[in-house]
Amino acid sequence: MRCQIIIAATFWSVCVDSRKIRGISLSYKRFYRERKSFLCIDGSRMVPFEQVNDDYCDCEDGSDEPGTAACPNGRFYCTNLGFRPHYIPSSRVNDGICDCCDTSDEYNSLTWCLNSCRNLGQRERADLEGRMRTLDEGLRLKQQLIEEGVHIWREKQTQLIELQQVAEDLQVKLEEHRRRKNTADRLREQTLMALEAEDNGPRRQNRTITSIFHQLDSNNDGSITVDEVQAKVAYVEDEERILSEDEAVALLGGGHQMDLTMFQHMLWNNLRSGDSIKIKGTHGALVGLVDEDPNIKAAGSAAERAAADLKKVEEAFETVNMEISDLTKKLTIDYGADREYLFMNNQCYQLKVYEYTYTLCPFNQVTQKDVSGTEVSLGTRAICGFPTTHLASD
Amino acid sequence: MVPALVLWLAVCLSGTWAVDRGNFKTCDQSAFCKRQRALKPGQSPYRALLETMELTNTRLTLQLINDNNKVRLLLELYRLQGNMTRVKINELKPLKPRFEVPDVLIQEPPTEPLSLLSKDENGVVLSLGAESQRVIVSAQPFRLDIMEGHEVLMSLNSRGLLAFEHLRMRKDTQADPEAEKKEEADPANQAEEQTAKDDEEKVEDGMWEETFKSHSDSKPNGPSSISLDFSLPGVEHVYGIPEHADTLKLKTTDGGEPYRLYNLDVFQYELYNPMALYGAVPVMLAHNAQRTTGIFWLNAAETWVDISSNTAGKTVFGKMLDYVQGSSETPQTDVRWISESGIIDVFIMLGPTPYDVFSQYASLTGTQAFPPLAGLAYHQCRWNYNDQEDVQSVDVGFDQHDIPYDFIWLDIEHTDGKRYFTWDPHKFATPKDMLEALMVKKRKMVAIVDPHIKVDSNYKIHNEIRSRGFYVKNKDGGDYEGWCWPGNAGYPDFTNPEMRSWWASMFAYDQYEGSMKNLYTWNDMNEPSVFNGPEVTMHKDAMHGAWENRDVHNLYGFYVQMATAEGLIQRSGGVERPFVLTRAFFAGSQRYGAVWTGDNAAEWEHLKISIPMCLSLGLVGISLCGADVGGFFKTPSSELLVRWYQTGAYQPFFRAHAHLDTPRREPWLFGPENTALIREVVRQRYALLPYWYQLFHHAYHTGHPVMRPLWVEYPQDSATFAMDNQFLIGRDLLVHPVTEEGARGVTAYLPGKGEVWFDVHTFQKHNGAQNLYIPVTMSSIPVFQRGGSIIPRKVRVRRSSSCMENDPYTLYVALGPQRAAEGELYIDDSHTFNFEKKEFIHRRLSFANNILSSINLAPDAQYSTQSWIERILILGASKPSKVTLKTSDGQERQVEFEFDSSMSVLTLRKPGMNAGADWTVALQ
Repeated sequence: MRCQIIIAATFWSVCVDSRKIRGISLSYKRFYRERKSFLCIDGSRMVPFEQVNDDYCDCEDGSDEPGTAACPNGRFYCTNLGFRPHYIPSSRVNDGICDCCDTSDEYNSLTWCLNSCRNLGQRERADLEGRMRTLDEGLRLKQQLIEEGVHIWREKQTQLIELQQVAEDLQVKLEEHRRRKNTADRLREQTLMALEAEDNGPRRQNRTITSIFHQLDSNNDGSITVDEVQAKVAYVEDEERILSEDEAVALLGGGHQMDLTMFQHMLWNNLRSGDSIKIKGTHGALVGLVDEDPNIKAAGSAAERAAADLKKVEEAFETVNMEISDLTKKLTIDYGADREYLFMNNQCYQLKVYEYTYTLCPFNQVTQKDVSGTEVSLGTRAICGFPTTHLASD
Repeated sequence: MVPALVLWLAVCLSGTWAVDRGNFKTCDQSAFCKRQRALKPGQSPYRALLETMELTNTRLTLQLINDNNKVRLLLELYRLQGNMTRVKINELKPLKPRFEVPDVLIQEPPTEPLSLLSKDENGVVLSLGAESQRVIVSAQPFRLDIMEGHEVLMSLNSRGLLAFEHLRMRKDTQADPEAEKKEEADPANQAEEQTAKDDEEKVEDGMWEETFKSHSDSKPNGPSSISLDFSLPGVEHVYGIPEHADTLKLKTTDGGEPYRLYNLDVFQYELYNPMALYGAVPVMLAHNAQRTTGIFWLNAAETWVDISSNTAGKTVFGKMLDYVQGSSETPQTDVRWISESGIIDVFIMLGPTPYDVFSQYASLTGTQAFPPLAGLAYHQCRWNYNDQEDVQSVDVGFDQHDIPYDFIWLDIEHTDGKRYFTWDPHKFATPKDMLEALMVKKRKMVAIVDPHIKVDSNYKIHNEIRSRGFYVKNKDGGDYEGWCWPGNAGYPDFTNPEMRSWWASMFAYDQYEGSMKNLYTWNDMNEPSVFNGPEVTMHKDAMHGAWENRDVHNLYGFYVQMATAEGLIQRSGGVERPFVLTRAFFAGSQRYGAVWTGDNAAEWEHLKISIPMCLSLGLVGISLCGADVGGFFKTPSSELLVRWYQTGAYQPFFRAHAHLDTPRREPWLFGPENTALIREVVRQRYALLPYWYQLFHHAYHTGHPVMRPLWVEYPQDSATFAMDNQFLIGRDLLVHPVTEEGARGVTAYLPGKGEVWFDVHTFQKHNGAQNLYIPVTMSSIPVFQRGGSIIPRKVRVRRSSSCMENDPYTLYVALGPQRAAEGELYIDDSHTFNFEKKEFIHRRLSFANNILSSINLAPDAQYSTQSWIERILILGASKPSKVTLKTSDGQERQVEFEFDSSMSVLTLRKPGMNAGADWTVALQ
């Protein structure tokens, strides 16, 4: 308000002081001091002072006719009290078109102009106030968005750090589990190998063969007979079925009995592999019999547990890493100087233009969809640069 | 505008990319032209039957008989007021009436008595009145010779090419009248029979039917063409017969195509050839250093003109012999006119000066319409200004860049679906607001109204025309329909006066919704353009009332503009002058407004051709001519655009226009330097508007062209006869536009031995009768003012011409070798017909004996102006000791002055008298 008063006062003084010199601004007043002669502002020529604004162009720069249309390159100053002053080309003076809101350009024309400066001024001030309000509102919103952005940004940063911590922990865990799994695996292998070594060692093996032989030799006569085979041996596929005599004979190498030596070379191998036949009431190969060794059992389940644990940790690690890279990607996008555009992430906006619907998802992609539903991608990363200064409230 | 799209389609369909001659007929492809042209010069079969001669006070009639077929013709000979002879030849008893062109002549030309000088069995001699002019009618073979003293001015049928295809019954139907009915009932079948019967000959002959590119012409009347030859002894230069994209001086057509006159919408026309274009004025001027004459062939059908140059009376062999022997016998030009139908009705204008011929022709067909002053100002056009906002922003652009303009134009896209007289409801929702906004700026608008009418039962204009039966009919009696901008369209029969008057009534403010008094009209596509018709125009067997399109074709555009101009006059109650631009035209079109040279291209050659094209139109009465500044098709370089503005600013109709597909080219879009160059030249145009206006006022009264070839003013200077790279505006300004890319200089010819010319920019004086080399920069526009002339300018250039109405004048007095000069000043209200009620100021300005005076040329006229004389420049002056102004009230006062001795320019400061007053300024 104070500013307006000053401006109005300035205008007033211009009007009073240079009443005779039409069409000049206060700052040019000094060129038009009433003297005997007038020096064209470009210095090109001196003319009698009466020739200023006498409706004849004397100066090449048009400076002798600021208030008439006489000079092709002249300009006329609209004072526009109550509004903004401005220059118009001299050719618009008295041309029947109202250019200055204070009507000063049509001082000698048939066109009747209405002084609209006050209205214009009021409107402009109202306009300006409106705009200022809008701007303030925009700034407020912007601040809010910046804060929101900062908040989100921080949150995301924290999240990232947390995730990275988790990832590190998992890394450690992962290594630990890998180690554990390796150890368990090794232990089991060693146990197995030890057992194998025992089994395969002549003594242990023999003892085992002998014990199986004795197991089969129900009557302990030192040889296995068809009956005994039929009583104790069965096919793996069909345990319930009793072997036929022929089958038993076949197992006995074509004879009706078998001593320990022959057993060792023939039936033992069949039983041991456990592929087709087995001793009734037992599971799997004869080695299974071996696995029932409690030591091996313990080693095996320990290794399995270790593997399962490792897998869980690996999955967790992968998930965390993906989250980290996703977050990192988002954090590297330019969201404006103050990250005021961060809020637009994950939002989409639609605009209908004639038959097309445009969908803009900032930082993601832009598509155009027509009435028939055909969708065309117009590109990704819809926003690449930002006006650095402002973001309007709308 | 152009049927670009459809031609493009047509081109695609025909499988070739050449946009070209192939779409348009050669003489060979036009059956009657081929038949006629096959006829070679020789003894005419026609004989005048002198015993049938009747001589009344106003005319001579005489029968002619063709000794080959015994068909008789009737010759009518009139001596017309103003040194003209009219020759009419028709069949004595035609099977049915033959078409005679109505509405082109402004009145039945007044006659003067013919008197018989002598008569014997060989012929008769008639006196043409003064100057020992006679016409000799020779009986066998029939010929006419127009003589002055012992000199033959012009001979008709001297080469025996009078050929009149009489109307006849179809041969195969003559014997059997029953068959005729059958034929009518089933023409297709009949045609087939014919073809089968007599295949070769019929196809070649094309007498009863003709096919061109899948279009067939049913020709129900059979052959009807006419032809006549004219010999012009002593003539080497002939001009006129627009519209062709060719040199000013017409070329001989021996061994090539004849010049064709058939209004066609030619897509991307070629330069320097005799193909038909949008308009046709069948008027030819013949000129030599002694005399100018003219031939006006009043026929609206398709017409071909052959021109050959011979030595009088010599065979080709003789000519060769002459050449070898270096014979100096008089040269001769022979001209032959061939038209498809109608009658021979020819006006021989006997000059003898160019201005006499202009006046003679104007007495027949009228003079140039006097445009409103704004029509001579700058026009900003584009296909299209998209919407009201666009119009407003262009308007603001002109003000921001301080470039004046008077008219902004809207092309077809402003309508609601190409329904003329309507507005697009979204883009131009409130046309009155738009027009109002322009009116506040004292500016105007032109909106296009084409003659093709969308066939749409929801369209008022269509419904009315259909229900009133105003459409052109097809050969079967239904409404003729063709394809144009709106899709399927009907074509109103503008030859029908009732139709025209109804059309005119559609321009009333209460009929044409959204129109206001600052809205004017543009008639495009009025050849008429029919995208799917033969040669992109109407079928020749389409019916306009009783007449075929064949008969009236070249009149269509003439009538469209006539009806439109009448509409604009009527809407203002007869007060306001109309402004209507047309693309198609005919003899007489000058009475209705402006013409432009159609769809040119942004090429240097097209810039060059704009000069001869407008000069040719000016010679045949159409002064308000212009070419699209910048070129319609393609995109001009900024250099070409600037040069085109510089050229267009010195041509009568000054409008920038551009094709829809080209980038925007408003004057400020090419950088500040080019903007400044264009601003400067538009301002030069505005400053000169008083001179242009005065010239158009003069053209309205006299028919004299505004833009003139040099030979018109210097008829004896043979150096000027073929000149068409420079021209005169009126008598006093000579313009040699720069039309070469990268030009560093031009050589202008300054005519007139003993005369002087002043460079209008520097005031430097040059002698006449010399080729002057002028170095040029981008800002140069070589323009010279003739010493001995006075040109008024309004140098206070404003936003539009009407803003300058009350502004003062600066007089440019260019002293001639005798230290004298003359000029005129014409002032009226600039837009109404009130000047016809003697409301104007017309003054002669003359400088002699060191006294410049303003004398009233029209003491009975009354008009007052606020304009005054602010400055007088006297070029070629010497320094006076004092200058005294004396006004009519007897007061005297000294006038301040300045003298520039380097250029001998005396400037009188602010003499201040009213422009309408009597005054004298004396230099002492």
